Amino acid sequence: MNLTDLQQGKTAVVSDVTKLNDIVKQRLIDMGLVEGQEICLKCAMPFGGPVMVEVCGQCLSLRRKEASRIGVS
Amino acid sequence: MSQFALLGNPNTGKTSLFNHLTGSYAYVGNWSGVTIEKKVGKLRHQTDLLVDLPGIYSLNPLSKDEEVVTEFLLTDEFEKILNIVDASQLKRNLQLTIQLIEFGKPLIVGLNMVDVAQSRGIQINEKKLSDILGVRVVPIIARTGKGCDLLTKELTSDTRKKSPGTPTFKVDYGFLEEIIEQMSELFPDDVNLNKRWMAVQYLEGNKRVISYVSQHMPNTALLEQIKQEVEEELVKRGYAHSLRQFIYHMRDKNITHLLEQTTIVTSSTKTTTTDMIDRVVTNKFLGLPIFLFFMYVVFMLTFDWLGTPLSDVLDGFMSGPLTTWTENGLHVIGASKFIKDLVLNGIIAGVGGVLVFVPQIFIMFFLISFLEDSGYMARVAMVMDRIMESIGLNGKAFIPMIIGFGCNVPGIMAARTIEQPKERLLTILLTPLMSCSARLPVYALFVGAFFVNHRALVVLSLYVLGIVVAMVMARIFSFLFLKKEKSVFVIELPPYRVPQALTLWRSTWEKGKGFIRKAGTFIFAGSVLIWLLTYAGPHGWNVEMDDSFLAFIGGVLAPIFEPLGFGTWQAAASLLTGFLAKEVVVSTMNIIYHAPDTASLTGVLSTQYSALSALSFMSFILLYIPCLATVATIRKETASKKWTYVSVIYSLVIAYIISLVIYQIGGLFF
Ligand SMILES: Nc1nc2c(ncn2[C@@H]2O[C@H](COP(=O)(O)OP(=O)(O)OP(=O)(O)O)[C@@H](O)[C@H]2O)c(=O)[nH]1
Ligand SMILES: [Mg+2]
Repeated sequence: MNLTDLQQGKTAVVSDVTKLNDIVKQRLIDMGLVEGQEICLKCAMPFGGPVMVEVCGQCLSLRRKEASRIGVS
Repeated sequence: MSQFALLGNPNTGKTSLFNHLTGSYAYVGNWSGVTIEKKVGKLRHQTDLLVDLPGIYSLNPLSKDEEVVTEFLLTDEFEKILNIVDASQLKRNLQLTIQLIEFGKPLIVGLNMVDVAQSRGIQINEKKLSDILGVRVVPIIARTGKGCDLLTKELTSDTRKKSPGTPTFKVDYGFLEEIIEQMSELFPDDVNLNKRWMAVQYLEGNKRVISYVSQHMPNTALLEQIKQEVEEELVKRGYAHSLRQFIYHMRDKNITHLLEQTTIVTSSTKTTTTDMIDRVVTNKFLGLPIFLFFMYVVFMLTFDWLGTPLSDVLDGFMSGPLTTWTENGLHVIGASKFIKDLVLNGIIAGVGGVLVFVPQIFIMFFLISFLEDSGYMARVAMVMDRIMESIGLNGKAFIPMIIGFGCNVPGIMAARTIEQPKERLLTILLTPLMSCSARLPVYALFVGAFFVNHRALVVLSLYVLGIVVAMVMARIFSFLFLKKEKSVFVIELPPYRVPQALTLWRSTWEKGKGFIRKAGTFIFAGSVLIWLLTYAGPHGWNVEMDDSFLAFIGGVLAPIFEPLGFGTWQAAASLLTGFLAKEVVVSTMNIIYHAPDTASLTGVLSTQYSALSALSFMSFILLYIPCLATVATIRKETASKKWTYVSVIYSLVIAYIISLVIYQIGGLFF
């Protein structure tokens, strides 16, 4: 399952970030989005726009394409 | 005298603290990436210097503003690091703290935002934290200045003693330790950086450190080989996917252990205000409409509801009492006719004609500052990302553009936080198309003369025209030269904060000051020069305006603008001077048309322009060339003559085409 499969407002645990683009990966890791962290999908922008997630009490936004490369369980 | 460096994650309050400790008014805002260059200030009542730097997540730079920090660490002289950490985000912040500890310089931790942490139910035992890290930890609230005195004392006290601030905390990288040792021995002795730190950064893949090492070592093949082998070994043993991940993980383990001993979280699951606002503002369907509505309100307040009435009052004062007083004053001191003319028709007309727009410009800057300090800015970037993606950019590029509505110069600088070099370049090229506040006076003048009943609508459409042209140009540019680079977008959304009145006023003033300063310098000098050029001509002094030098110069260029509907020497002359600063267009017209106040100027204008040619002229002003200061900034930020020329030339061409289309096609209908 990946992050975009998550229902809005639901929480899961990040299981895989290896498929991400390098720059995005480094940024997300810096912001605390790493394997084993709890992640909550807050909302998604229309027309395939970015998603907003919460990790460690901090909200981030990333593109849906990238979100779909983040495995969660 | 010693120098201290402020380092920490983005948006943790470094600049707020810097302002408190040094009494400066540096740029504060509630999003990541506000500070984009190094700034030095003198500590209050001390001789020591404090250096404010951009925020960073780690020492391995991804964007231009982060490069500034790594560069500073590697090449600048400083005695101590003041590491600001966000108490409500300790886990993440300590990743950087560990890297700074490894750097080996004396270090003090400023535990900021303790108020935020407290409201989230996080309690930190700073004594214990201090003991484990082996550094002083000072809890502060940079926003109010709480704890800042203690921090200054800590900072300045023991620099002369035998570095008691040097930290003792050490992360054990397990099976890497041996490799780190081995690499440290390979580094040359003439570099005065901590070798263990260099080895760890090298293994992590810090590009700047790797290039630094290769500058100081003839042959790094062995280092590269060691790094590669150890990475393979890691993967083979199944410890991690990469060296970087492994190092991150080891630090994380230490941090988790440390936090267990030092923090207590009485978790509160209540929904925060930020959550509630976000439910509306970043709502799937409402997000974009709300942003557009917000921009509309900003515009109307600036231009219509509040700004224009205030400007009218000011104009009344300048053209009435001020002019009379000056006239009388000049009479009393017995000034010659030349001086009288210069002051009244040159300086008051030129500079005063621009200063009347101060209220509008301050209102606009105030609202932009509000946007910056509230936390909404990052949300705007998110809401706009989908649209920006379709033109080959990302949502972050929208922040420089919004700032550009105030003034293009800081807008262009703000593009530093964009990770991808080509997206950044594109943003720099497009930001000048955002209609900055300096163009507002020109619009105000012309709509006052030609579109009295549709003032706001016409000006709004000019703003929109700038945005639309920017989008089309983005498509064209990204098609021409940006095809291959992948666009990326990741942004942090900080919690909303109610902006402090003082901060808001300061940042409004800091921005608005530039406008007033320009009035005293560029516009003043421009006005005097223009007046002289109208006063003198090839046949002597005090000539008729049409025989003046200015008429002569403008007349040469005028035919070029004939097809656009404003082929007069007056228009050409004001466009020429408008390159200095766009407000100078208004000054020039005030002087050329000899108008005592705005009302009579608009009267004269309607004999020279038609509604259509006025529209064409305003569009041309919007697009034709970035002002002098902007061109200089583009030159500095792109570090390329070629792109500077491109930015000037493409905007001239676009302006000509658009104005031509407006005037010629419009002419078919009206
Ligand atoms: N509640 C609270 N807010 C704070 C505190 N310190 C700073 N802020 C706010 O945090 C925001 C960011 O402050 P800045 O000083 O611009 O942060 P910075 O670290 O310089 O940010 P960058 O330059 O982007 O790295 C502002 O809105 C401040 O008002 C604090 O102690 N408590
Ligand atoms: Mg800052």
